[in-house]
Amino acid sequence: MIKAGKERTPYLFISPLILFVVLLILVPIVGSIITGFYRDVTFLRLKFIFLDNYAQLMKDEGFWRSMKFTLLFIAVAVPLEMIIGTAFAIVLDMKLPVRGFLRTCVLIPWVIPSAISAKIWQLIYDYSYGFANFLITAFHLGRPVNWIGTDIGAFFAIVIADVWKTASFVALLVLAGLQAVPSDLRLQAKVDRANFVQTFFYITLPLLKPVLLVTLLFRTIDSLRIFDVIYVLTGGGPGGATTSVSLYAYKYFLGGDFGYGSAVSVLLFVVAFVMSYFYVKMSRFQGESGL
Amino acid sequence: MSEERAKSILTGLTVTFMVLFSLIPFIYMVLVSFNVNPDFLDRGWLFTFAHYKDVLTEESLHFIDYLKNSIVVSAVSAVFTVFIASLCAYALTRLEMKGKAFILFLVLAVSMFPQVSMIAYLFKIMVSLGLINTYPALIMPYIAWTLPLSLWILVSYFAQIPKELDKAAIVDGCNEFQTLFKVVFPVALPGVFSTTLLAFIFAFNEFIFALILTTDYHSRTIPVGIAMFEGLHGQVPWGQIMAASAITMLPILAMTLIFQKHIIGGLTKGAVKG
Repeated sequence: MIKAGKERTPYLFISPLILFVVLLILVPIVGSIITGFYRDVTFLRLKFIFLDNYAQLMKDEGFWRSMKFTLLFIAVAVPLEMIIGTAFAIVLDMKLPVRGFLRTCVLIPWVIPSAISAKIWQLIYDYSYGFANFLITAFHLGRPVNWIGTDIGAFFAIVIADVWKTASFVALLVLAGLQAVPSDLRLQAKVDRANFVQTFFYITLPLLKPVLLVTLLFRTIDSLRIFDVIYVLTGGGPGGATTSVSLYAYKYFLGGDFGYGSAVSVLLFVVAFVMSYFYVKMSRFQGESGL
Repeated sequence: MSEERAKSILTGLTVTFMVLFSLIPFIYMVLVSFNVNPDFLDRGWLFTFAHYKDVLTEESLHFIDYLKNSIVVSAVSAVFTVFIASLCAYALTRLEMKGKAFILFLVLAVSMFPQVSMIAYLFKIMVSLGLINTYPALIMPYIAWTLPLSLWILVSYFAQIPKELDKAAIVDGCNEFQTLFKVVFPVALPGVFSTTLLAFIFAFNEFIFALILTTDYHSRTIPVGIAMFEGLHGQVPWGQIMAASAITMLPILAMTLIFQKHIIGGLTKGAVKG
């Protein structure tokens, strides 16, 4: 390591980053926490009400419904992303002749802005002429599904659209993990006449565990804040059935109630913060080599 | 050899599913964009170029404005982010200071925060600064928002560069700033490049800040523009929406095809550790 000429130099180098993070992320967060203690509604006088917003939240059925939806969404979507993403990663790791093409395919859902892909999915789910119902009718799989108009249809519409986008991300992370698995270990397994299923479950999977855990935690935290896919695809409907916590808070902001909306967003932040604590702890034990 | 066969069948199925699953929505978008009717599956194929012509020439749709806003905002954000993150990554990998790990993990934690917990107050800040519906209102949060990822990727690239290089530069009389930009930067160029690309993609895809901080075509970005797209004649203009989406994706797709290795490299570098 080079000895710094002046003691101040390193701090000079990191200060722009710290400045941006503090002013544009931490200050707004603290601001929201403070706003949550106020009655802050457009056209009404600002009033300090301390925990009243939170007391009201505890009794707010709409809020609990959005919380339930968000947790259910995580419980269904994240395991699907992990399984599909891992399967993709295993195939991408093989020395197939079309490897470059396959990697590009997997990247496409990830680079398309979610708002745009949600629009495409909206048309796919269209009741009368969407591609989804076309497939169902063409293959005689049953009657056309009312995707966006029913609670369960809208739920799975969102899950599929989200898994489409994020499975590729999981695949890329797991792929990086796979490439770190020493190939002589797999070779040894082959010599020991283990079949590929055994090799996967007894050798690859245990070695992948740290990567899978970090990815799982990352996907869980990221799903907790889901917003854009739902905003575009269902708008939180039908009748609020697919309103995530983020969307619920946004609807209060839109209506001019900043105090209550902030209280909702602060609760979401607390959950995310606790999870990020574990995420950071896990990453730390993984990535010591960085410095 | 039935095991080998089972394996190749399984592989074949996964590959087929992967390609179809990833590409079908994308192909569907392109087909609809070239069709007179979005219900071409029932009514048959009727080729047209009109949707593209509409979104490119009809000024009241503001598609070109949205696209221009997106490109300017994302490019400026990406350049600033990479510059700021490089300074920090240089200090973290080459200079002596306390609390390095703390900064890295603070930044990582911050990137996990829900955007919705910031937007209300960010909106108020931008209102009081008179910046609502301007480029800076988006560029500043985008820089902050893309810094964590950029920092993590750059730190892992910079850490691989031998430190003897800097020593030689310092002996030659360079200060730290010159060392970073004349010695470290050129060597780390592939890493810097993929970081810029990723920061651009992140900013280009961002939705919720743009939804709150912009009000019309003067600064609204393309994801919000397409989400709110209203046609000229009332009903949902699917053809135009898909044409607009296809044009938007063209530069991103070209970048992905050409720089696939860089994007994957950068992403896995920053994310597996992060």
